[in-house]
Amino acid sequence: MKLRFTFKNAQPVRSILSQLVGPFEAICRYVGQFAGEQRNQMRSLAQGMAIVFPLSLLLLTLSPTSPAQAQSESDVLTPRQVTEYALTLEKLEADFYRRAVVAAQNGGLSSVPQAAKDVIVSYGQDEAQHVTDLSAVLPSLGGDPNAITIPTNPNYSAILGRDPFANPTDFLMVGQFVEDLGVAAYKGQVQNLLAAGDAGKTVLAAALEIHSVEARHAAGVRFLRQALLGADVNPWISENAGSDEVIYNENRTGSPIPFSSDAFDGYATQSEVLALVGPILTEAPQAATPSPTPQPATPQPMPQPTPPAAAPSQSPRALW
Amino acid sequence: MKQPVTLSASRRSLMKWGLLGFGGLMASALPKVAAIAQTGDKTLTFEATDDGILNFALLLEELEAAFYAAAVESGNITDAKELEYVTVLGAQEAAHVTFLRGVLGDKALFSTADLSFNPDGLAAILADRSTILNTAVALEDVGVHAYNGAGPSLTNPTYLLAAGSIVSVEARHAGGVRALLGRPTTEPDSDRLIQDADLVAALNPFKGKAYDELYSPNQIVAIVGSLGILNNPINGSLVA
Repeated sequence: MKLRFTFKNAQPVRSILSQLVGPFEAICRYVGQFAGEQRNQMRSLAQGMAIVFPLSLLLLTLSPTSPAQAQSESDVLTPRQVTEYALTLEKLEADFYRRAVVAAQNGGLSSVPQAAKDVIVSYGQDEAQHVTDLSAVLPSLGGDPNAITIPTNPNYSAILGRDPFANPTDFLMVGQFVEDLGVAAYKGQVQNLLAAGDAGKTVLAAALEIHSVEARHAAGVRFLRQALLGADVNPWISENAGSDEVIYNENRTGSPIPFSSDAFDGYATQSEVLALVGPILTEAPQAATPSPTPQPATPQPMPQPTPPAAAPSQSPRALW
Repeated sequence: MKQPVTLSASRRSLMKWGLLGFGGLMASALPKVAAIAQTGDKTLTFEATDDGILNFALLLEELEAAFYAAAVESGNITDAKELEYVTVLGAQEAAHVTFLRGVLGDKALFSTADLSFNPDGLAAILADRSTILNTAVALEDVGVHAYNGAGPSLTNPTYLLAAGSIVSVEARHAGGVRALLGRPTTEPDSDRLIQDADLVAALNPFKGKAYDELYSPNQIVAIVGSLGILNNPINGSLVA
């Protein structure tokens, strides 16, 4: 496994375990609740989660910090570290939508209605803008945006255990996972930025500006799943949200904030997010450029498909 | 374990809404001076403190909760999916009201009954399905900008996390209702009520459709005032 993280603060043993075991157990519990079609998906997710612990241990071995010192500083990030972390996630999201644009032109997503294609292009523009602007801010914090890299071909298949660009059902499912996780990831950093005082004010404002746009994206993808696929999902995260809706611990307890209510969105710490994203941040076994592929065992045709957009030779960037 | 959202909160808001609407009508028939002196609407004074910010958020949540309850009651939303959205959104706003009142305790500046609504202003935004849903978009978009704008001024980290927990739900509301209407789920610059030149520069490192800009509390007060639905005067250092 090839790690491309550039984060300076790897996590200590005890805090990693204490933060991961809870969510991991919760996800395993949820996995057991699913039936029918969801089960394969959940099994894949569980397999993905199994990668979490080796990855965590790998991070540990890279840690220069003593456990005793770092335990109390677990998931405490400086504004620069928050920005580097956010830039990593944004580069991944932008890359994810770039591949979706290709697949919408002449690949597995070419059957989606034009409205959904418009959404893919628009959200991709937003993520690319976040990359541009966070990259511009990072040097003022002492960081180097070019040092924040993702693999040439991120292993997106790690999420469901199969190519997410092969059909609309899988793509929108993964899109929901990614966007909801993005919302939780930004939310998980606001207290770190507040704690940094004046030094964190600009990044805090930037994080807030982005955070709610990611939530709009999540709502939009969820709406498409509801409207186009008849999925039992809403723009908001439902009560008792299990891992068929979100892949992080949405129903966090022990806080004065009632995260278990559908009126309150949960958050995710950096170590929780990196544990989930780590398997994607590895080089895919082969080039993952989306191309028409055989449908999975249970294809779900889109209602009222529109003809594929022409111009297969067009570069995806031309749409942006 | 998640508690199921019940509609009782919405119904309570609705009853208060009806009563307030009637009371507002009565008050508006009185001479203005007398109304101020005897039955005048309570002035809402928001100070530039964490408690002031939470009270300000409470006001916005009360407005949203009352709006959705009245929208359901209006009978103008008939599509099953749209009715479900409006009903659930109202229940979630009511949950935000309950939460904020719980956090504020006796530091809450006003009760729900202290709020006075203008019946004509209400009738205007409840006129028909399109007006209701587009008003919902406007209220939710403004709510997002308001929470974002207040965030950096909060000093209590738990309050900031709570505001974050709420604002992303408001953004989901905005995105969801926008999608119902076939409008873009993110906010185009042309929809923004505060243009680039009027944004507080220090609060807005980035601008454009990829961002939900931070509005200052006095900008929010001006927008709420333009809706013409709230009679209570608003002042204080937070909104100065």
